[in-house]
Formats: sequence, C-alpha cells, structure tokens
Amino acid sequence: MLLPPGLPSIKNIRKTVKPKSVNRTTAFHLPSELNADRPPERRGLARDRVRLLVLDRNTGQVTHTRFDRITEFLDPGDLLVFNSSRTLPATLVGTVRHLPWAVEVRLAELLPDGTWLGLLVPSPQKAENVVTKGLILEFAQDFRCEVLERDQRIPRLWKLRFSKSGTEFLDSVYRIGQPVRYRYLSAPWRLSYYQNVYALQPGAAEMPSAGRAFTWRLLLQLRSRGVESASITLHAGLSSYLDGELDRQHLAAEEEYWISEEAAAKIRGAKNSGRRIVGVGTTVVRALESIAAESGGEVRACHQYTQLRITADYRLQIVNGLLTGLHEPEASHLDLLAAFVPPPTIYATYSEAIQQRYLWHEFGDLNLIL
Amino acid sequence: MKLLSDRFALITGASQGLGRELALAYASEDVRGLALVARGKEPWQKLKSEIDKIAPATNVVIIQADLGSITDIERVAAITLEACGGRLDILVNNASTLGPVPMPYLLDYPVDDFQQVLNVNLVAPFLLIQNLLAAMIDHGGSIINVSSDAGRVGYPGWGAYGISKFGLEGLSQTWAAELAETPVRVNWVDPGNMNTAMHRDAEPNEDPTAWADPAAVTDIFVFLASEAGRHVRGQRLEAQSNWRNAITKG
Repeated sequence: MLLPPGLPSIKNIRKTVKPKSVNRTTAFHLPSELNADRPPERRGLARDRVRLLVLDRNTGQVTHTRFDRITEFLDPGDLLVFNSSRTLPATLVGTVRHLPWAVEVRLAELLPDGTWLGLLVPSPQKAENVVTKGLILEFAQDFRCEVLERDQRIPRLWKLRFSKSGTEFLDSVYRIGQPVRYRYLSAPWRLSYYQNVYALQPGAAEMPSAGRAFTWRLLLQLRSRGVESASITLHAGLSSYLDGELDRQHLAAEEEYWISEEAAAKIRGAKNSGRRIVGVGTTVVRALESIAAESGGEVRACHQYTQLRITADYRLQIVNGLLTGLHEPEASHLDLLAAFVPPPTIYATYSEAIQQRYLWHEFGDLNLIL
Repeated sequence: MKLLSDRFALITGASQGLGRELALAYASEDVRGLALVARGKEPWQKLKSEIDKIAPATNVVIIQADLGSITDIERVAAITLEACGGRLDILVNNASTLGPVPMPYLLDYPVDDFQQVLNVNLVAPFLLIQNLLAAMIDHGGSIINVSSDAGRVGYPGWGAYGISKFGLEGLSQTWAAELAETPVRVNWVDPGNMNTAMHRDAEPNEDPTAWADPAAVTDIFVFLASEAGRHVRGQRLEAQSNWRNAITKG
C-alpha cells in the first residue's frame, strides 16, 4: 500500500493495456464435493501435505505426488518467486443511517489517489438501488466511507473514499474486517488461515493462495538445497464480482505491484545464467511479465499497476514454471495457464485432476507446471 | 552513526515500565522506526513527544492492542509490516500481565484469568514471532523475550504469571533451536527486580526503592539489538548481572 523504502516513486501508473480477445481455453464441470471447504490443517493434514499434480510442459506428462515432495522437482539454482502480499480482512459491513439496510463492502484495489475500488453487496439484495453516488456507509463510530462513482470497466465496483488513510485505515480495517469468503466453505475460517507463512505488507483483497502450502520447514529445506527465492508484491484483487455474467467475461482486474531492486537483480541473474524461474502463483507471472513487456524483456525494480492479460497466444519472456492452485472453469487464471501448455493439455490434466479427486480453491491442492 | 541506525523495532508493552524505557533507549540510538504496542490509550502523547525530541527522524507508530486477542495480534503484525516496509530488525516481546492482583494461589486461581495470562505472556510472543519472521529471515533480526526469575523457580503465589514465564523460557529455547541455521537470533532476558507499577502490584509489601530503575537495565537490550550482539543467540541473560561475561562465545 505504501511505498517500500528504496523503490522508485509512482510514475505513469495505471497505464492502460488493451485486453486481448477472450479465448476460451477449456470447459469442464467441477463437482461440488471437490471444493476444499476447510484448510488442510482442519481436515487432518499438515499444511504442506496437500496433493501436488506436476505437469511437464514439454511432454504433457502428469505426476501425482504430495506438496512437501516438491523438493524432488526443483534443482539447485532454480529461482522461486513468491508474492509476499498479505491478505487484508477485506470484507467490511457498513450501515446506512436511517435505513434498514446493511451494505457489505469487499475492498478490491487501492487507487493512486488514495481512494479504493470496492464491490458493494447490499443486504437484502433487492435493495440494490440503495447504492448510489453520495451514499455514506458507516462501519464504526469514527470510520465510514462515501460512495463516489461506479467503475467504468467493472460496473460492480464503486470508487470509495474512506474517512481514514494510512496506518489509521489499516487499524480500522483490521478491527472490523473479515476475510473475503465464498459459499463453499464449511465455516467462517479466521484471517490467519488466509495468510501465507512468508506474507509481508498487507494489501491483497484475497490470499495469493498458490503459496499457502509452503511451511517454514519446507522453505528452509529448499534454501539449504540451493533453491533460490525472491519476493515481489502484487496486491491481488477479488477473484469474483459475485456476478456470473461479469465473471464469465473475466475482465482482468487492475492490480498494483512492486518489484524491489534486490528481487529484480535475482531474477535477472537467473535469467541471464539460464536458470529456471518458477512463479509461485499467477500473480507473480502477471507482475514479472508485465514489467518485462514494458521494459524490453528486462525485469527492473518498479512500482506500477498492471492490466496485462496473459492468454494462450502470449509469449512468456521471464517465467519458465508455475506453481498454482486448480482454477474454476470461468477463472481468468485458466487462460493464463494456456501460455505455459496448450489448451488440450490443460483440459486433459484437469480431467485427470477431477478423476483423481483433487480439491479446488484456496485451501485445496496444487499444480506445478515445469 | 549510532548503534541502531537503520533498524526498525517492535516493542510490546511500551507505554510504561521497562517497555517505555526501551523505546527511549532505542530512540537514543537513532532507530529507524519504532512500532510501539500497548493496551491503554492514555500515556502515549507524552512518550511520543519525548521520542520526537530525542530522535526526530524516527518513524513512530503507536498500536493500541490487547495481546490476549488473536485478531489484535494480526492487526499489530499487519501495521508493523506496513510501517517497516517488510523489513523488521528487532522484536522485543516485553508485554506481560500479572493477572488478578493480589495474585491468588493456584488453588484459587480463576481459569479464565489463568488463560488470559497465558495468552498475553506466552501465546502472544509465539504468534508475533510467527507472524513477523518473514520480515526478518532474509536480512537477519534480533528477537528478545523478556522473562523473569519466576520463569525458573515456582514461587508460591506467583500463579499464572510464573507459569507463563516458564513457558516463555521454553518457547525461547525452541525458537532459538529452530532458527539456529537462519540469521534470526533469539535470546531472552531476565531483567531482575525493577521498580515498575507491575512489580509494585505483585509485591505491595516490599520496598520498591530497593529495586532497579527500569531505565538502568536497558543496555543489554540495546546490545542484543545491535551489530555488537550479532554473535549472541539462544542465550538466557540476566540484565542486572555481569551479563557481558556470561555470554557464551559461539
């Protein structure tokens, strides 16, 4: 949210990158029992013992294993790039003075002018027309927001101006907020279940969940085996706008990201010496490919916003491998996978994952594409 | 160049007693930033202006929180990580609560109070280390847990407080062992008898003027947080003893 020290200041951010045409990659049906409805630790598994499906980019060959055996697939010198964005309790429930409605706000993105984009969900839902420009939502005695205008690109999002900013804003959000949760969960799991062990600055609307299975024990083990790591920050936005039609269009949200000089140097070093760069999560791929696209294939320290859409016809410049969760049929992440492997291979792999009863979503199983 | 220039510290229990003196001592060494946690709202302004006077460039973030609450600890971690820019150098787990005073015998100790004392004195340090480790593990950091003689000897009447400090001693040893191969150092300090409000509450019949001024025991905390203490890890030290000689050379 705030600029980490030692990074260049924001300049010309919010560049508009024209979305490429939507190219349907796959279609499949996800049986509801394959939604991971609780964290692995709450279904009798260690955090790092979820299942891992390893997909060979070249041969399409699939290996089924356990996440803590990821060490067998990574070589000394490989560079794992993590997204260290910390999950916010991004769901806030506000009331409207003198009216019997509550409006749930899901924070999506902090804009450069200090306002936020947020998804507004009135309750009861039929009260949708209560949301208008100028509406004041009250969250606590000294914490409220004013609804400004509707977002041009994603009409379910509104621009919001809060009565606090900086540390005070964070303090209030953490006092009253809850993590963004979806219907398939068996219980309202608390925020700490939505954090990666390596998470740093807060700002993600939803957990960058591809790295959730890493434990410190595993990270230290990888380190001692000579697998390198770097961290960037991309504050992930919302994965759903709670609107089937809008979600099907999977408009690429605009997301804020930082790459430090230290991380950029590690990434350049790996690239120049031909070592593999493995993104932990699609957010990392998006950040690294965005900066490469802007600076002639070179990763440099930056603080920017991206709207880059990565699809089957996108030629990856930086990232060789990807660790990711299993994605829903509509998820734009699925299109991104097509930049790594041909769509028929994704389809075959996902069919196999369904057959093998892999679990989907943030608390589910993982997929390593190498 | 002072001893703590460019370092960012989090101190819990910072509004009074030892925590307050540590904040001032770190400010005197030009610490880059201070995240100060305490339960109350009141005495902050005075402390903040004192720090501003000593070290005008130090970024001071005040966080009001109940360390007995997991959600409050999440909030403390998030605000600290934001304030320090993802790089924390020093974590002092100083906050503790006595529980009900006068302290009841275990025989009579209400279980809710017992759990609250363990949450603040033991679970909170565990969670703060766990939540903030990512900000220390690449560049190195110094974690200092404030223990007590009551964490070594089971005195009658020291109830949950003493037991929580026994736990903290074990917690510190285990963290130190797990982090032995990393650049993060864990040490724990028994500050000895100090003339603080908490100690006066614990032993109202004793003469507090016989106890040390908390401002007089801060040197070991500056040492452990600084470059000079970089070889000291996994050790229990006593602030009012000849601790420089007690350090085991690694």
